[in-house]
Amino acid sequence: MTLLALIGLLLAGGGVAWLSGSWSSTAPRWVSLVVLALAGYVVLGYWLEPEQAGLYSAMNAPWIPQFGINVILSMDGLSLMMVALTVLLGAVAVAASWTEVTERAGFFQFNLLWTLAGVVGVFTALDLFLFFFFWEVMLVPMYFLIAIWGHENRGFAAMKFFLFTQISGLLLLVAIVALVYAHYSASGVLTFSYHDLLDAELGDGIQYWLMLGFFIAFVVKLPGVPFHTWLPDAHTQAPTAGSVILAGILLKTGAYGLLRFVVPLFPEAAVDFRWVAMLLGAVSVIYGGYMAYSQTDFKRLVAYSSVSHMGFVLLGVFAWNELALQGAVVQMIAHGFSSAALFMMAGALQERLHTREMTNMGGLWMRAPRMGAVGLFFVVASLGMPGLGTFVGEFLVLLGAFQVDVGLTVAAALGIIVAAVYSLALMQRTFQGTPNPNVATMEDFGAREMLVMLLMAAALVWLGVYPQPVLDLSLPVIEALGGVAS
Amino acid sequence: MELLWLVPTLPLLGSAVLIATQGRLGQWPVAIIGSGSVLGAAVVALLVGMEFLAAGGQPYAQTLWSWMVVSGFSPSFTLYLDGLSLVMVGVITGVGSLIHIYATGYMAGEEGYSRFFSYMNLFVFAMLMLVLGDNLLVLFLGWEGVGLCSYLLIGFFHDEAENGYAARKAFVVTRVGDTAMALGLFLLFRELGSLEIQTVLANANTQWVDGSTLCTLIALLLLGGAVGKSAQVPLQTWLPDAMAGPTPVSALIHAATMVTAGVYLIARMHDLYLLSPEAQFAVAVVGLVTLFISAFTALTQTDIKRILAYSTMSQIGYMFLALGVGAWSAAVFHLMTHAFFKALLFLAAGSVILALHHEQNIFRMGGLWKRLPVPFWSMVVGSAALAALPFTSGFYSKDAILLTSWDYAHGGPWFWFFSAVAAFLTALYSTRLIGVVFFGEPQGESHDNSRANMWAPLVVLAVLAVGGGWFGLAVLNDVLPDGGLSDQPHTGWLPLVTMGIPMVGVALGYLLFFRKSTFLDGLVNSSLGESLRKFWFGGWGFDALYDVLIVKPFVALAKANKSDAVDKVFRGIAALARGAHQLVSVTQTGRLRWYAANMAFGMLVVMLILVGLL
Repeated sequence: MTLLALIGLLLAGGGVAWLSGSWSSTAPRWVSLVVLALAGYVVLGYWLEPEQAGLYSAMNAPWIPQFGINVILSMDGLSLMMVALTVLLGAVAVAASWTEVTERAGFFQFNLLWTLAGVVGVFTALDLFLFFFFWEVMLVPMYFLIAIWGHENRGFAAMKFFLFTQISGLLLLVAIVALVYAHYSASGVLTFSYHDLLDAELGDGIQYWLMLGFFIAFVVKLPGVPFHTWLPDAHTQAPTAGSVILAGILLKTGAYGLLRFVVPLFPEAAVDFRWVAMLLGAVSVIYGGYMAYSQTDFKRLVAYSSVSHMGFVLLGVFAWNELALQGAVVQMIAHGFSSAALFMMAGALQERLHTREMTNMGGLWMRAPRMGAVGLFFVVASLGMPGLGTFVGEFLVLLGAFQVDVGLTVAAALGIIVAAVYSLALMQRTFQGTPNPNVATMEDFGAREMLVMLLMAAALVWLGVYPQPVLDLSLPVIEALGGVAS
Repeated sequence: MELLWLVPTLPLLGSAVLIATQGRLGQWPVAIIGSGSVLGAAVVALLVGMEFLAAGGQPYAQTLWSWMVVSGFSPSFTLYLDGLSLVMVGVITGVGSLIHIYATGYMAGEEGYSRFFSYMNLFVFAMLMLVLGDNLLVLFLGWEGVGLCSYLLIGFFHDEAENGYAARKAFVVTRVGDTAMALGLFLLFRELGSLEIQTVLANANTQWVDGSTLCTLIALLLLGGAVGKSAQVPLQTWLPDAMAGPTPVSALIHAATMVTAGVYLIARMHDLYLLSPEAQFAVAVVGLVTLFISAFTALTQTDIKRILAYSTMSQIGYMFLALGVGAWSAAVFHLMTHAFFKALLFLAAGSVILALHHEQNIFRMGGLWKRLPVPFWSMVVGSAALAALPFTSGFYSKDAILLTSWDYAHGGPWFWFFSAVAAFLTALYSTRLIGVVFFGEPQGESHDNSRANMWAPLVVLAVLAVGGGWFGLAVLNDVLPDGGLSDQPHTGWLPLVTMGIPMVGVALGYLLFFRKSTFLDGLVNSSLGESLRKFWFGGWGFDALYDVLIVKPFVALAKANKSDAVDKVFRGIAALARGAHQLVSVTQTGRLRWYAANMAFGMLVVMLILVGLL
């Protein structure tokens, strides 16, 4: 029940925030912050007292019994980490848009909280229909966030985002229904329950096609090459909070789907498909990194770097051994923080300079040393410096993938060089070099921004030097999914 | 020895304090924290080292905490002290603190004084982790960490785009090597199931036979990392550009410590190379090629720091050669003596540069020996050691390398010959440096504004550059396979010739650069001489080659594909949909007659199909 309450809290909080917008434009953001603080309290309960809070125990209530659809919500270690990340980055998103959003602030916070509610549902639902329901719930408000509060080309970007996700969502729905039907015709039981469907006996052919349906839906979200092209547009045009949530959390739902559904539901097909999937992962790592280097728009660069970083997750999931899977999990969390921070930096720069174009920047360290130092830290995290979380994630993924396929691992490892190239180029074009004469002054980070940034920096350092708590939380899940046996 | 953890922690703490205070501290507090933290580490290292030696030199491991445990992969933050790491720690903290003290004067009044020392302290921390880590992953942490600090310090004056470019070049080029090294680690873990250095070495010896292909591959991949970090052919091109950093940085990172990390790595993993004679041969060849070509280049450079940079590459080449021919202890010995005399040379050069208001072209110096006595004598002492004149520290280490290379089973005399030629060139370019900078006609104003904090480190380093080689390095005996520096087995002409070659170089240098000989001018101005000079000056064309082969195509393709070719597919689909939409909407005219005619036509077609005519 706690989980239902958590999701309800976010949904209701969204409603309150919307209403509060009608009498004050500053009230909604405070409502959001309070709601997220309450949500954080609930999540903290799971973390500190797992037994009492009911970690690993599922809630199961009938929803549409005629079709075997139930409300099954469950929290395990993996879900817990993802939900915690969601709430934390949700708060970061609110902080990032603290002064940016002035128009229709109530509706903005409503969409923000509803997206988060959808994401929490996605991370906890263990009924495939319910999962799909939440999948849609998180996308529609996101569309509004981009379409209403986005930048100059927001209509196009929002439509592109919507089409990509809706078509892949349709694919997911068809695959879910076909899976349920296949299970029904074999066993005579009509159910959407994840645990029941795990035992579904599927013919080789159908299994492969269903796996492909799930796979494409999730890889679009991840995003992996060649389905990544919605991301640069969506990110670039989205408001800062939207980018933070998109990169930090929404992309993780794709990774989570691969981990939770694709491989466990269709293990044999996934093994057959392994090489192609790992190839896409390696290609994403390199191509994403290379495209990042090509960009001159700060946000586009960071957006493409996300493609590169999430490529490691794809590689790790399909390598499917404990090392690679643990690496993928760490990478998901580390990338959540590092990309959110870089997008927040992009937002802060845009708010101050009214441009994202890096040719209009340069030498900004001289104007705002604190921003320079913070930018340096997250750029360094992005290029995979040991001692920070991204290194642990990428190293474990590569270490595990190496045992499965040497060639693809070597290819992906070349991505480490590319990461250095684009990350340092980002630093050079913005904060270093001759100060741009058009930027005479720039306000440095204030206390609010420094606090948020330092929080995320601390999280990355913690993940980098002592990732054990995360590894311990995800180990039982990986064991349960069958990631240790193979 | 329980205090070992303090050695890396103190510089880390220093760096953290300087970062946290965001440059709000005055110059004195920054200087005290910045150099004090390294000095403190040196004192602790001295105490620990004495205790270590008193206890008979048994390796000591101190586990701080477990980094992670994943499916049999369980690296921990463990510091490992043995003779080899003790020597490295001594060099890093000892020479490091001298350079830090010097830098308090050199950097005085510069923008970002506090930032400078925070990076420098962070570097010392990372370097100490590199040599103290008992696990290859911890070593890798230090390895990447020093690379980062090197990047930050090369580009320290970041408002000039050139410095930023040099810094990025250094990081990216070394990262090519680092990636090879990472692959080596993956392979090691897959084969031996651990990255703990002592376990790896033990398992390698039991699991692999001599000449094992896997072992060779791993050794070569690790060599790739070493080559990048230590600026050896073919990844050497970043080091000369790295001279964009402030001179104390060049002394600490690009002469005394970081660039020798590759030597440390190979010495540390020596069992792998002993198992693979091919890989060890590759090490020797890399060293030989580098020491040879960079000696020529050093001879032609006009920038005082670039001369020293090429000289550093060349000297590290000697260390690689030593590792390759099995003179393990001599390699580490040369690493240490080189740290003394090259740090001395760089700091002395820094004093000259500062006195001439940041002039680095040696041909705009001249006649400085009276006006800058401390830098002058430092430079003389340092050059003597660099040239390996008898009784200086460099003599003992380089002599051991040359003589051992003669005995190398795979073409030893050739290795000896080329490295002896380079030793001759070393003496020649060192003499040239002294002659051009300190003698001849004065070329402008100079102010000797050095204070005690700048000349005192020079004096200490000068003493070390002379006497640092007198006592050998007995602590290495238990660690490295050759059982310490061998007593010279050679008699007869070889030791005498080896000893004499640098003196010939100095003598020739004296004739060429002190007494302007027309012979030299004629040689240089001949067309062959000129084109050779250009070729050597450009570092034997490596930079130009990489630029054409890699950098230019990479950048051009990036520009061409900025809008992402993959997206063209999706934009194509969208355009197709729009086109179809337009096509269909043409039919919607609103004219009833048109609709009726179409309907009739359609029905006709359908009927014809039904009756089977179509």
